[in-house]
Amino acid sequence: MSLYGLMAVFADSEALVAAARHMRQRGYRRMDAFSPFPVKELDGILEIPKTRLPWVVLAGGIAGAAIVYALIWYSVEVDYPINAGGRPLHSWPPFVVIAFEAGILGAAFAGFLGVLAANGLPRYHHPVFNAGSFSYASGGKFYLLIEAADPKYRKGVTRGQLTRLGAETVEEVEA
Amino acid sequence: MAEASANSPAVLRGRHDFPEISGRIGSIVLSGRLPRHFWTAFFLCFLLVLLLLYSITYLIAVGVGAYGIDIPVAWGTMISNFVWWIGIGHAGTLISAVLLLLRQPWRASINRFAEAMTLFAVAMAGLFPILHLGRPWFFYWLLPLPNVHMHWPQWRSPLVWDFAAIATYATVSLLFWYMGLLPDLAVLRDRARSRRAQLFYGILALGWRGSAYHWSRYQVVYFLLAALATPLVVSVHSIVSLDFTFAITPGYHSTIFPPYFVAGALLSGFAMVLTIAIPLRWAFSVEDLITVRHMDNAAKLMIAAGMIVAYGYVSEAFFAWYSGEPYERAMMVQRAIGPYAPLFWVMLCLNCGVLQLLWFRRIRRNMPLLFAIAVAINIGMWIERYIIVVTGPSRDYLPSAWGEQSLTWLDFGILFGSIGTFFALVFLFIRILPAITIFEVEEVAEEEGKLR
Repeated sequence: MSLYGLMAVFADSEALVAAARHMRQRGYRRMDAFSPFPVKELDGILEIPKTRLPWVVLAGGIAGAAIVYALIWYSVEVDYPINAGGRPLHSWPPFVVIAFEAGILGAAFAGFLGVLAANGLPRYHHPVFNAGSFSYASGGKFYLLIEAADPKYRKGVTRGQLTRLGAETVEEVEA
Repeated sequence: MAEASANSPAVLRGRHDFPEISGRIGSIVLSGRLPRHFWTAFFLCFLLVLLLLYSITYLIAVGVGAYGIDIPVAWGTMISNFVWWIGIGHAGTLISAVLLLLRQPWRASINRFAEAMTLFAVAMAGLFPILHLGRPWFFYWLLPLPNVHMHWPQWRSPLVWDFAAIATYATVSLLFWYMGLLPDLAVLRDRARSRRAQLFYGILALGWRGSAYHWSRYQVVYFLLAALATPLVVSVHSIVSLDFTFAITPGYHSTIFPPYFVAGALLSGFAMVLTIAIPLRWAFSVEDLITVRHMDNAAKLMIAAGMIVAYGYVSEAFFAWYSGEPYERAMMVQRAIGPYAPLFWVMLCLNCGVLQLLWFRRIRRNMPLLFAIAVAINIGMWIERYIIVVTGPSRDYLPSAWGEQSLTWLDFGILFGSIGTFFALVFLFIRILPAITIFEVEEVAEEEGKLR
């Protein structure tokens, strides 16, 4: 069994944020934090890159609208053109309505599936669940994980640093 | 964010710590020990589910004439039920999406069941156009499927738009709801003791672990879904109203309909939110999580939407007169003094009269009274939909062909059956999934804690 990292448990979000900031300043890069609800400060400290998912959502919306509009256009102009009272076959104003709905549908699917894909979910198992202390949101505990793959990682040193930052427990996590 | 002045009580009452919040909300689901009156109420709803199944079977076996529609009134309660239910759904989306975009902290305790209410209301609404078809087994002809008929749907018809709008709305509501549920499902997964519960919630939670990287993306997309849901709500009910306005029938053909319908949807929807939330917070003693502030704000939104609806009534009457069309005018007069006059005046009393009580803070904060008002508005809004659907065709351009739709037992069998089915689904939802958003309530509790 190889080592995945060290998991430190903190009682509140301020302690987690302070600890994450300290460890970052000491040069640790491969770390992750876990919290029962989003903690805004962590984005900056962990230097989480700005997600490109909004572009995926936009693309999904445009694709949904375009595909459905194209389908309608194909049906009225190519597959089954029927002249009813001399009105134009390609009468776009009513077609926009369905294209709009399809655009929303495409965007919503792109967003939902996109966030799952970007987060690597659904996932059957992850090493953090090996930690005995890690029970996600068993009641508002806050976790900081330093991966063993981090170049600065030294078994005893890292553990000592985390303990001095006020961690309730520090635990080794199997990969 | 959550300033607590004397006039607006705090969003949450009392002090809360995180184990207590997730434990209390989670245990409603996990311990499964629900009060006896819960199951009694569920049993009553289940009887109504059976009534719905019987009524639908009867309707399909005998035909749509069984519920009293006949030419000239070919649209009856199936259409008014549809509009009523879809409107109830809209308030759920509005609460969860618009209040999220406006970063209103009071949203957190009620958005989950508001979204659930949307889903179940849309599920009920979706039944009615299909039952209305007369030959419901051909409903898929509205879809652009490759088929042996070699034809396409009529893209210029509001009925086809309606199908697209409702299908999109149901799907997007489901995605938004499920995405909001993910972190809470992970909480339940970790709190569950029995193997079956762990498996059930574990599979649904998709391996969510609350990583900071995940939360960052999650929040961005959740906001985007809310931003998509908001115009969707407006477009869906506008399209529903276009089903009417595209016809030249007197009383249908009016440009006020889309905004008037959307406002009516919000009024009936907020009334339904209160109808569910007031008993819910009492029965599960969560009065400190769903506080008087929530109820008060929902009542304020009700009166705002209700005044727009009242403006719609006035505008409808004014433009019927201003159009100079004798048949438009006759229809409007007949609405007030004709065969449907009693319903019309009851509707005005409830939707415009009773509503005014909500101007008073003492009434808004008196829960039994507020509940009674909410039920009255629900009834009033159902009558409004019915009046709109039937009075137009019943007083058409050919006075010799004037006629009425007669309400039969089947109308009420299907209406009350659908109400019972809706509440049965709400009960099952409360039993199986957390009815209050755990992670957002914890977030609000932390922010209020910092302010102290």
